[in-house]
Amino acid sequence: MIFFAPSQEASTTSLPGSQKNTLVIGIGNPLQGDDGVGVRVAEQLANESLPPGVQVQELGTPGWGLVNALEGWQRIILIDAVQMGAEPGAWRRLDGDQVSLINNPSSLSLHEPGLAESLALARALNLLPEELVLYAIEPGHIGPVEQLTPAVADALPALVKQILEDIWKET
Amino acid sequence: MSTRIDVHHVTRVEGHGNIVVGIANGKLEECRFDVVETPRFFEAMLRGRPYQEASHITSRICGICATGHATTSLRACEKALGILPSDQTVLLRKLSFHGEILDSHVLHVYMLVAPDFLGVGSVIPLASSHPEVVLRALRMKKLAGDLCAAVSGRHTHPIAMTVGGFTHFPKPGELESLRKRLEDCRADVDATIELCASLPWPQFERDTEYVSLTRPDEYAFIDGEIVTSDGTRLPIEDYRQVTNEYLVQHSSAKFTRHQRESLMVGALARFNNNHAQLHPRAKAAAVALGLTPKVTNTFLNTAAQAVEIVHCVEDAIQVIDQLLERGITPEEPVPPTKMGGEGVGACEVPRGILIHHYWIGEDGKLTGANCIIPTNQNIANLEGDMRTLVPQILHKPAEKIRLDLEMLVRAYDPCISCSVHVAKLERP
Repeated sequence: MIFFAPSQEASTTSLPGSQKNTLVIGIGNPLQGDDGVGVRVAEQLANESLPPGVQVQELGTPGWGLVNALEGWQRIILIDAVQMGAEPGAWRRLDGDQVSLINNPSSLSLHEPGLAESLALARALNLLPEELVLYAIEPGHIGPVEQLTPAVADALPALVKQILEDIWKET
Repeated sequence: MSTRIDVHHVTRVEGHGNIVVGIANGKLEECRFDVVETPRFFEAMLRGRPYQEASHITSRICGICATGHATTSLRACEKALGILPSDQTVLLRKLSFHGEILDSHVLHVYMLVAPDFLGVGSVIPLASSHPEVVLRALRMKKLAGDLCAAVSGRHTHPIAMTVGGFTHFPKPGELESLRKRLEDCRADVDATIELCASLPWPQFERDTEYVSLTRPDEYAFIDGEIVTSDGTRLPIEDYRQVTNEYLVQHSSAKFTRHQRESLMVGALARFNNNHAQLHPRAKAAAVALGLTPKVTNTFLNTAAQAVEIVHCVEDAIQVIDQLLERGITPEEPVPPTKMGGEGVGACEVPRGILIHHYWIGEDGKLTGANCIIPTNQNIANLEGDMRTLVPQILHKPAEKIRLDLEMLVRAYDPCISCSVHVAKLERP
């Protein structure tokens, strides 16, 4: 696990500013091509100016550890590659109940649960934050390369801009 | 009348394996556990790599027992290069190891096995019906992961462990905080034993040869000698006399046997062979679970893991006390005393005895490697158990036979992806 922002304990109280206490999480394996797009976006966000109370983390493939990571935050913004049947690089902002639309039918092993299973577990345990957002990006190629496919790489600037707007949005 | 049980990819285990059982006219005709994953060629990847990279490469064999692979790899290199690690290094490795055993056993007991007994398909419905059970598991797993991260730099795939020592050292404050959390964790540990004591473990007996490491001074996890419940005792360098890997047609994992048709490694084997060295609280837990060595019910491997959870928490507290008392010294890794040689490392990882055998050239690059994984050593025994169990449960409906067999497979806590290597899969 790599932290891109100075370590800071989560707290449930709102900070002076009026952004919610927010954790932005990049998910995926950057050694598996577009699967790592969430991590690439998190890297870029970590270099931007962020409001106090907002932290960015790369969680890689956290498995059940994602459930622990959600605890104590008012808002969680997840970024991950999701196969939606769209063109590579297309992305969607999902929130609320929309997030539970994702599933992972090919997962057979509870040693390595995916995002859908971990979120389902967090939901069953009432550990979801008051606001949960998922930025889902359609991958082009998932396989053992470090580069993103051009269509996905080209989509990143607009995506990062949108997430920053989301982060700075006052509540 | 014929029944066929064909579980294509057993769930709640790591990796892909199939149960194939054919019953005709009340007779067992076919009984196999197929390992269908592709070989992974880690040993070939190691050839030509500098010895300093070996632990980082082999750690990737497993996302669960990465510290186990790394430690075993480091011990193989250190033996080949005449390196004697410092007392502090030995203590830090032990602490990280306890974290990993704890993490893996909690995962298996709660997330993979408990759903079978509590009548749910996975941990997610369990979280709705028994949230306190799942929250406890997550708390314990978090502590275990934090323990590994404090010592070796991150939860999985340790970066601070290196040949001859460490490149990063935990601060006393971090150790004190972990010690406090381990003490607080005792309530969760006790609740784990209570949960396991309440589970209706299937009745099943099949004696086999239980194989583990053993040490004169402690319950062995790192280094020691190979011991078997049939009385064999060997230096780890002679591991081949016990493992005897051989190929079978239906599996891309190699099989092993020693004095009997099969052998078993893992928590139950460790418990049977080294029970006397468990921490007193772990011994008390064994009593509460009704475990007295030698235990020959494979299903109780999970109960033996629960006993080890107690042991690892208690021993981790003791190790932290020793580290705090002597003080943490940021020390340089011990350098090689010779370049080139052959070394065997052996550790007891969550699923059993793990061996790395390396040959290192005078240029410091590996010329050969042999890795023997616990799950491989158990597959022949699993098939032996299946052949014994099926005739005893033939009267049950097919769905129940299927569930019993899946539970038997899960009892071994197999890590199938780890176990596939080198063997060729040839189908007729």
